[in-house]
Amino acid sequence: METGFVAVEKIGGRSTVTRCFSKYPLKFIIPRKVGSSITDAVWIYSLTYGGGIVSGDSISCGFTIGDGCTTVLTTQASTKARIGSNALLAVIPDPVTCFSTARYSQKQVFRVFSDSCLVIVDWITSGRHATGEKWDFELYKSSNHIYLDDQPLFLDTVLLEQGSVSSIAERMKDYQVIAMLVLLGPALKHIQNQVQEDVKRMMSEQLRVPSTATGRHRSSDHHLIKPTFIASCSPFGPKGIGVVVRIAATTTESVYSFLRHQLAGMEPLLGVPPYC
Amino acid sequence: MCISLFFVHARVLAFFTEVPMEINKGSHGPASTNALLQWNQWQLLDSILPTGGFAHSCGLEAAFQAHMISGLLLPFVYSSNMSPNLETWHKLDRMLDATLTNEVARKASIAQGSALMRVSATVFSEVPSLKMMRSNSLGSGTVAFHHAPIFGLVCGLLGLDAGISQRAYMFITMRDVISAATRLNLIGPLGAAKLQHDIAIAAEDMSKKWMNRTFEEACQTAPLLDTVQGCHAYLFSRLFCS
Repeated sequence: METGFVAVEKIGGRSTVTRCFSKYPLKFIIPRKVGSSITDAVWIYSLTYGGGIVSGDSISCGFTIGDGCTTVLTTQASTKARIGSNALLAVIPDPVTCFSTARYSQKQVFRVFSDSCLVIVDWITSGRHATGEKWDFELYKSSNHIYLDDQPLFLDTVLLEQGSVSSIAERMKDYQVIAMLVLLGPALKHIQNQVQEDVKRMMSEQLRVPSTATGRHRSSDHHLIKPTFIASCSPFGPKGIGVVVRIAATTTESVYSFLRHQLAGMEPLLGVPPYC
Repeated sequence: MCISLFFVHARVLAFFTEVPMEINKGSHGPASTNALLQWNQWQLLDSILPTGGFAHSCGLEAAFQAHMISGLLLPFVYSSNMSPNLETWHKLDRMLDATLTNEVARKASIAQGSALMRVSATVFSEVPSLKMMRSNSLGSGTVAFHHAPIFGLVCGLLGLDAGISQRAYMFITMRDVISAATRLNLIGPLGAAKLQHDIAIAAEDMSKKWMNRTFEEACQTAPLLDTVQGCHAYLFSRLFCS
């Protein structure tokens, strides 16, 4: 039994919620007006009672976004989304923060057409820094699967598990946040191009490597200063219709700033710029 | 180069001590087939096999790499090895193309896989289906020729079991990472050989943990490495093609 379901369809030329259902521990809040009235976008806020989920909670939601509609979902709990032709879904949550000894797993499956647009932000911080928790959780698993015309387009699963050989903290070095941003669809081409340019420029400046022709370098002598923010960009899919950005950073704020800047171009489509 | 080849052979021999070695002179029974199998195994793992393995620097952090390879790619080697046929190979190739979201890793996988298939189809003539599968797939235009499924396929058709195939895959990946470190002058040849030996314990732990899983269970366990690897294209001095 699903915990929640929302259907968005075009009624009278506007994206409209035609069905909305949720039960404990999930609640949907769908404000009537977000941003300017000329923008056609439905904003769905997914909340959990108490602001978090506890042991034993299980949330599963379904969404249907009709042709030509635009929907924003701010949550980390959606599971299945079918995005119609010329439709847009933006999944732009705050980061997941797993407390010490927590085990967390989420799976999101998206089915799209070649002209659908999808923006996915999926990110995690190392824990409650104030209490010294850094990558102290037991397990974190996040899957994002995108199918184009029922063919696998993007299958990503991140698994962080405390191991006997090495802890998660050891594998993360000093980085406290990892994030993934997916931009898919022809309507987002200008944003995709801009992101690729920006990331390339940022990283080229940071990763200047001196010539190694002069001899051996021990790792302690390495001239590469560890950057506080690393990002890399890869196109994916036929004709590169998608772009995925992976980020590792030492502060949450730097990632918020990056997302704010890169997704600012979405304001005309969503009504409000994300992460402001 | 001679020194590293010697150490590679030493390592390979240590791998296969469990396989009984009987050379029965004067008859072609199961014992000599077993011996021939070993020659094929060693050649497949030898760094002299021209698959361009040295050309891929793969991030240069051996332990991280072991982590990433095991979770992400061993399932594809396993699934391919268990059903070494055209249909399974094509399906796994498609899945891996969607799973390797990092463009650097994806291109490297395709380059190495294409080379391995080309070489195997020519060299292992006792398996004529390899040649047929290769030309069939080149013609279709929808097969990317990713490395891990082809490695599992070739091992399977040569009669190597899943356990050996997956460990062998880990072995050649670690070997390539360490070779790249030598090429970039980060360690010397003797240091490289020592590192290769010492890393085997971690690699074996990783293999044991991630072995014998189907491709649906493939996952990314080293996101930091994946991010850094994706930056490869931005580095100023590039010795390698990936």
